Amino acid sequence: MPAADTVAAPVFSVRNLWKVFGPKAARVPDSELAGLSPEELRERTGCTVAVRDVSFDVRKGECFVVMGLSGSGKSTLVRCLTRLIEPTSGTIAIDGEDVCGMDKGALRDLRRHRAAMVFQHFGLLPHRSVLDNVAYGLEIQGVAKAERRARAAEMVQKVGLAGMEARRPAQLSGGQQQRVGLARALAADPEVLLFDEPFSALDPLIRRDMQEEVVRLHRDEGRTMVFITHDLSEALRVGDRIALMRGGRVVQCGTPEEIVGSPADDYVRDFVRDVPREQVLTVRRAMRPVRSSGEAENGPALNPATTVADAIEAVARTGSPARVVDSGRCLGIVDFKSLLSIVAGLDRVQPLGKAAA
Amino acid sequence: MSSATTTVAPQAAAPPGALRAAWQRPAARKLLLLGAVTAVLAPFAAARWGSGAWPSELAVSLDGPLGRANDWIIDNRDSHWLFLHFFGHISNAIITAVRTVYVVLLALGWAGVTAGASLLAWRLAGVRAGATALASFAVCGLLGMWVPTMRTLALMIVAVAASVAVGALLGLAAGLSDRMFRGLRPVLDTMQALPAFAYLLPVVLVFGIGVAPAVLATVVYAAPPMARLTALGLRGTDQGVLEAVDSLGATGRQRLLTARLPLARRELLLGVNQTIMMALSMAVIASVIGADGLGDRVYQSLSTVDVGAALTAGIPIVLLAIVLDRTTAGRGSWAGVPRGGTGGHDQPRRRTRTATTWAAAIAATVALGRLAGTTWPETWTVAIATPVNEAKDWMVQHLYSGIPGIGGTADWAAQYTGWVLDPLRDGLQALPWWGALALVAALAWLIGTWRTALTAVLSLAAIGVLGRWEPAMDTLSQVLAAVAVTLVLGFAVAVPAARSPRVDRLLRPVLDVFQTMPQFVYLIPVVALFGIGRAPAAAAAIVYALPAVVRIVSQGLRQADPAALESARSLGATGGQQLRQVQFPLARAELLLAVNQAVVLVLSVVIIGALVGGGALGYEVVFGLAQGDLATGLMAGTAIACLGLMLDRVTQPTKEANR
Amino acid sequence: MRKRTTWTVVAAAALLATATGCGAADMTRQSSPYANAAGDGKTVTLSVQSWVGARANTAVAKYLLEKELGYRVDTVQVDEVPAWDALSQGRVDALMEDWGHPDQEKRYVADKKTVTDAGELGVTGHIGWWVPKYFADAHPDVLDWKNLDKYAAQLRTPESGSKGQLLDGSPSYVTNDKALVKNLKLDYQVVFAGSEAAQITQLKQFAKEKKPFLTYWYEPQWLFNQVPMVEVKLPEYTDACAEKGAADPATVDCAYPTTPLKKYLNTEFAKKGGKAARLLKNFHWSKADQNEVAQMIAEDRLPADEAAKRWVQRHPDVWRAWVR
Repeated sequence: MPAADTVAAPVFSVRNLWKVFGPKAARVPDSELAGLSPEELRERTGCTVAVRDVSFDVRKGECFVVMGLSGSGKSTLVRCLTRLIEPTSGTIAIDGEDVCGMDKGALRDLRRHRAAMVFQHFGLLPHRSVLDNVAYGLEIQGVAKAERRARAAEMVQKVGLAGMEARRPAQLSGGQQQRVGLARALAADPEVLLFDEPFSALDPLIRRDMQEEVVRLHRDEGRTMVFITHDLSEALRVGDRIALMRGGRVVQCGTPEEIVGSPADDYVRDFVRDVPREQVLTVRRAMRPVRSSGEAENGPALNPATTVADAIEAVARTGSPARVVDSGRCLGIVDFKSLLSIVAGLDRVQPLGKAAA
Repeated sequence: MSSATTTVAPQAAAPPGALRAAWQRPAARKLLLLGAVTAVLAPFAAARWGSGAWPSELAVSLDGPLGRANDWIIDNRDSHWLFLHFFGHISNAIITAVRTVYVVLLALGWAGVTAGASLLAWRLAGVRAGATALASFAVCGLLGMWVPTMRTLALMIVAVAASVAVGALLGLAAGLSDRMFRGLRPVLDTMQALPAFAYLLPVVLVFGIGVAPAVLATVVYAAPPMARLTALGLRGTDQGVLEAVDSLGATGRQRLLTARLPLARRELLLGVNQTIMMALSMAVIASVIGADGLGDRVYQSLSTVDVGAALTAGIPIVLLAIVLDRTTAGRGSWAGVPRGGTGGHDQPRRRTRTATTWAAAIAATVALGRLAGTTWPETWTVAIATPVNEAKDWMVQHLYSGIPGIGGTADWAAQYTGWVLDPLRDGLQALPWWGALALVAALAWLIGTWRTALTAVLSLAAIGVLGRWEPAMDTLSQVLAAVAVTLVLGFAVAVPAARSPRVDRLLRPVLDVFQTMPQFVYLIPVVALFGIGRAPAAAAAIVYALPAVVRIVSQGLRQADPAALESARSLGATGGQQLRQVQFPLARAELLLAVNQAVVLVLSVVIIGALVGGGALGYEVVFGLAQGDLATGLMAGTAIACLGLMLDRVTQPTKEANR
Repeated sequence: MRKRTTWTVVAAAALLATATGCGAADMTRQSSPYANAAGDGKTVTLSVQSWVGARANTAVAKYLLEKELGYRVDTVQVDEVPAWDALSQGRVDALMEDWGHPDQEKRYVADKKTVTDAGELGVTGHIGWWVPKYFADAHPDVLDWKNLDKYAAQLRTPESGSKGQLLDGSPSYVTNDKALVKNLKLDYQVVFAGSEAAQITQLKQFAKEKKPFLTYWYEPQWLFNQVPMVEVKLPEYTDACAEKGAADPATVDCAYPTTPLKKYLNTEFAKKGGKAARLLKNFHWSKADQNEVAQMIAEDRLPADEAAKRWVQRHPDVWRAWVR
């Protein structure tokens, strides 16, 4: 699945999605009840809104991260995508096909072949060996025993568990268990991988390894991913685009740079306060216009996607401002002052256009 | 028991200030409310119907209708379509099944059965279980009990198969459907609290006396634990795993077969084990309704107070219980341990090899059996009845009475009857009926909800309405006295066991053996020790309930949070203070459960104590069965069920806490 | 999927219906699963009742069947009324001593014909109320039921409360005592000892302490040799009273009859039981014979087999005729 065309039709297209838990949940969306605060709503109807009027697209080949604190509705949202949780209202389309309208068979087909999920608590079958766990999805699809075992063995190899095929999940470490979960999801060769906080239960070091594993997989195979996390650094590390959720709503959706550089509101700003900005923001943001033609000719040339941290290194090494060059055209200049003002966060006060999804 | 003081207190007039203070506490509020209701209703009720035992005006005599129904059934058993086309087939199927199994067992011969059972136990639970099975069956033969053992075994095999099937189906339904679960759970809970005797009469009414009703009663008694554990196992499946299975697109059936059932394996096997133990217990008691086999031999011997013969038949029952428990419980723990290295590719080959081994083993067993003959050779038996009876006579002469200082067992029995049971019974029977109702309501409400209180009161009232008030109070007095003794002894044993791992290690195997034994067996030694009457029934009940109480209490005490204990120690608490102030309060739920279990278990044995002169309700059931007077038996049986329900509700802490 | 499930259920139901024959199944004619399991007709199952006299019959019959005729004999304890059921089902082949159950006799012998009358045992049974001889000697007028109330106070026990105690034994025995006490308006309470063994224990205890007692008892019974007792005269047994009692047992107000004890066989066994059935039909002995065996079992504590063996050795003249 080559990710050649980045602006291709979206894989998942979600519009006005609502999920309300409680009695007669369907009356809440699109009514005056929708305007109430969560406390008022619970008092009046006994309902809780988990997902509130959410819309976004997941493009082919990208890693789309949904981030938020616990209770923000992100896990509910990802379960709505394959209707593990039935949405209350709104539309979900996969490759233009309406998910909400699918009958049981079509939905099973979707889950079997097109979208596979990796869970926070792994969800492995304790009575089966690693190999049989990985082969489980294929078994459910009705793949013959020899074939599914061969494919499962391949996946076990791929996630680095070769030699552990005969073990039971209880005999593995957490990280290894999650590798089994990943292999199980990959075995079906799905179009989209859904991750529900896959690494939250792991130790920090192992978490790091696993994140790199995902980044590598994403880079090598270009598989579309939807990744749920409550960890901002994880989101920034793996995500091409991030949707930040709060109270069931998407408060901002954009690239890591947009989120960090141009927080949509105080909540987001508060959220990203401690992020090392120079490692996320790029020179595209730090540059100032070319003041003189001399500047446009001299100094090291930087790609607009270069992070500020890397630019500082380049500028410090040469001692002169650097040019930001895109396909031979000089877009602007970064110098000590502009770079440092990014590190210092001085760019925040500038009025900025809202980043669009 | 201390219950009497609890309700009298709130009825006494209290100064307004104290009243308001009391109102703040929910328990006191309930009592005040109840006290007020009683104060209004009681004088009216007392004036209208008197204050003695249950007034006869409020009793409905069902003797007539029940007797007529019984006569109708007997007259129509061979002609009415309901019997010919429905019950008749059930009975026929059971008899055919038991006969088939019995004939197969006989055909295998003593050597075949012994070898087969040992092999099976070995395969399922290891060498030790295999050796136990071998020795046990050999002893059954040696005692000359081969044929009765085979009869009990045949009945057991059919009853267990049916119980497991019925229980698993019910459990499956309750495990998969919430509504079914909500409907079924209280029924199953209640069924487990009822004494075995209560199940006998209804089946006898329909099927008469014989093997078919015995099997049915056993199934009804033994299926609930299977159903319960299956449902709990299925419902307890890790939700995360199920979600993962769903996310892979599993159909409902795949989900059940590949995930839910395998994940509930431990509960399922535990259910099978419990069902087998309950079935054995019931299969033995069902000798009263014609189950034949070992239980019948015990029943026969008990009625002539022939302790030697009773023991001869009792030992095989105990051995059977141990073998069945070891074999199936071993299976449970084996399945719980994940076995590493079940590599996939060599499985088929291994399976063929296993199959070949098994085929060879079975063929050898059958050949062995045919060679060795059908029943145990008569010359190989040892008659223990006479020496046992001689020993018992010696005991009667030397231990019964007149031992300086401590008296003797007969003296103890007489004193227990004269100083504990009689006053308690007279007290309960003298208690005004409305007072008893109020007392029960107060206890049940304090410990549970108004709903439990209502159930308890209605159950007690039902006993009165059935006209079984006096015998029920007699039974109740026996239960209360035995429960009190059980609890005192239980705590005395459990506290050291909880504090010292060594005591616990010594105690554990003893408790294990005691808990597997069928209730019926306990009647044998107590007859030898205490003779006939209410005291031996109480002794059997105490011995039967004690292991469960010790186990629950010591577990509860041991589970007390070590951090809390440590902090108490750091404050300089003595051992006694730790126990009173930390461990008991923290183990409150377990202690209540222990009381509940003690009541349920004691009741079940006090009822069958009728076979050794315990009298009261149990006696009426035996009487009804023996005389073919099912009306009397049924009413007593219903009263037993009501009493069981009432006692269970009165001692049952809020359900959510311990289930 | 659902469709397939439905079909499976239908097929299973159909199979079940075929297997059970779809026809009628009369449970009163279904024999016990254990009946004649060896299939060679060489096993005989005898019912035993809990009193010693009945055990004496069975012991001797068992000994002769095994040692003289080469049968395997199995004994099953059944109370009197259920024994009829068991006899009808073939769970037991023979009932050696019946004290008279007209209802059952009519149902099973006359109507269903699953049970066959096998003649008399030779012993005459009598049930009544008895007091110990030492008490009767001291108070001769106690022997008339009309004077019983006079002694109620002396016969009081903790179990009987404020009334006199009339001690009954096993719940399974033929008894009208509750009705008698009520209809004769006696100041007595019927107290069941629970079993005959318990009753004997209590009687012996009373006798040891020379205390008075009033008990339901019967003869033949070996206990008379140890505890001499005298019968209390109840209102005379009449046919009218018997008829009334047969219609409604609660109305009985006269003494128990003197019953010639009878034997009954399962019909199938009676027809096909060969020598065994013949022996059981011929079994006929005297009160003295029965008491001799009973005494050995109950008093001398001999195993039933041993007691039977001794009697058989001593009295070949009696049993030779049975096995011919």
